[in-house]
Amino acid sequence: MTTHAPMGQHASEDDPRIMLDNQIGAFEAVPPYPPRTEREAEFYSLRDGEMFLNMGPQHPSTHGVLRVVLKINGEQVVDLDPVLGYLHRGVEKLCETSDYHHIISQVDPLEYVSSLFMEWAPVMAFEKLLDVRVPRRAEYIRVLTGELLRVSSHALFQGWMALDLGGLTPILYSFIERDEIVEMLAAITGQRMLFNYFRIGGVNGDLNHEFMSRLGDWMSRAAKQHEASIGLLNENEIFVRRMRGIGKLDKDTALRMAVTGPNLRAAGVPFDVRRAHPYSVYPELEFDIPVRGTRDGGDSLDRYLLRLDEVKESIRIIDQCLHNMPDGPVMARLPRLLRPRPGRAWAAVEAPRGLYGTYAISDGTDQPFRMKIHDPSFVNMQLVGMLMKGNLIADTMAVMASIDPVMGGIDK
Amino acid sequence: MDRLLRRRLEARFADKLTGPVRQRHDETELRIGAADLTEVMTALHDEPDLDFAVLADLAGVDTGNQMQVTYHLWSATTPDWLRVIADGLPRDNPRIATLTGLWPGAEWMERETYDMFGIIFEGNRDLRRIYMPPDYTSFPLRKDFYLADDAARSPGGGVRHMEQTHAPSQATERVVRRTVKA
Repeated sequence: MTTHAPMGQHASEDDPRIMLDNQIGAFEAVPPYPPRTEREAEFYSLRDGEMFLNMGPQHPSTHGVLRVVLKINGEQVVDLDPVLGYLHRGVEKLCETSDYHHIISQVDPLEYVSSLFMEWAPVMAFEKLLDVRVPRRAEYIRVLTGELLRVSSHALFQGWMALDLGGLTPILYSFIERDEIVEMLAAITGQRMLFNYFRIGGVNGDLNHEFMSRLGDWMSRAAKQHEASIGLLNENEIFVRRMRGIGKLDKDTALRMAVTGPNLRAAGVPFDVRRAHPYSVYPELEFDIPVRGTRDGGDSLDRYLLRLDEVKESIRIIDQCLHNMPDGPVMARLPRLLRPRPGRAWAAVEAPRGLYGTYAISDGTDQPFRMKIHDPSFVNMQLVGMLMKGNLIADTMAVMASIDPVMGGIDK
Repeated sequence: MDRLLRRRLEARFADKLTGPVRQRHDETELRIGAADLTEVMTALHDEPDLDFAVLADLAGVDTGNQMQVTYHLWSATTPDWLRVIADGLPRDNPRIATLTGLWPGAEWMERETYDMFGIIFEGNRDLRRIYMPPDYTSFPLRKDFYLADDAARSPGGGVRHMEQTHAPSQATERVVRRTVKA
């Protein structure tokens, strides 16, 4: 039973019901323990005129649950320290105790806006462990659905990017685009977000009439719709001015920062796993790898424009898939219980955010001994700390959005 | 499989190898001692006929008997993925050199590996936990750390409170139930 303090009496420090400012520890920027590393000690010591600003974990422009501690001097960001782990669910540990079929649904929610890619790499790694040959029709379906999802993911990126810069309309158009694609995929997978569609040795179910009619409908105006979405933002002066010259990343730094995907290609390195280390049926398909910023590195605008170029290539790939789609089965014949021989396998795919890989070790049981998931957003996120130094607080969001992280994948 | 790459690697790193260079599918596996890591990686990264410019992945592995750190690299000079396994790290005090000198982007990957396995990367200037809270004491991906429902797999194991049982300071028994050869 608690007794209430009489009216009018001021809160005192020994009243447990009232949290005074100096007692709040959880969201204070400075950690309540001594620095553990050299870098932490350097970051959490303030010089004249500097202060800490806590952004997140529930900040709309952190694309999930990310906390960033900004060290600022006036409006200028001196340094920053991203704090991860708010979405960590230990998926690698979970994979070690689930059987090979079950893992597909475990990894689905990692990068929840492009979940087919999250299934693709593990499935490829397990197929290598088991020496399975995937039917060609299944490979074509994988490429077709994957590229559709890439279009939807990049469309969402465009909307988020504008949203973080203060433009509210483009996200609505993005969701129209995404909704069409997601409805299309729902026709064959039964899900709108976490598809759980790829299987070891193929895919779960063939293309059906509803999918094909929706796809045909979408394809007839995809190119035009893409042009329209380009026109929506690319001519906007505020949008362009806030991105040009901000967050410049050059070739050598990008490679050394182990960055992959559109962020690397926008820095002038033509590295795309689909061409650099071809998998599935990509060698048979005709498409280009858009590259920007080859001369002296790319800025936020380059990273934005590069994704628009990629959408165009994806539409080309989808078109070819439809024309070359072979007949046949969509699943290899496999036993229900999978026990690969002991061994190791690594498989990587080009997800919308970069190289997404899986490293699986089998010990001969029906569960992997170890499964490592390499998520591109996790590595790309390191760029935020590097690119932000010296810019304004408002540009933090612009740079972060141009890197396009998804926290589900970062926190695993 | 790039057989030429295997011969090149065998010739170049003859004295560093701790196992045969294995190849399967589109992967080439190079096994070295943890002490030679910096030298081998620098050679792989810098020498123009190797030129492994892309660090695709960095993963810790607890085989149950020892710790390993595995690196996946990509180069335009070969159609294979290269896997470098630095093995022979003792489970009670795993230490290895950092790669942040070659790839500064390895910093977070090493932080993650430290967080999950307790492998100490000497020279990494920011080696603190990245996913788990700072006052956490266990290393969840080690093989002597069980999930609660995992206990059902071994009769008599019982369900124990993970963090309490597996905090190194409080551990009463540290059993590895599952191991893999090398």
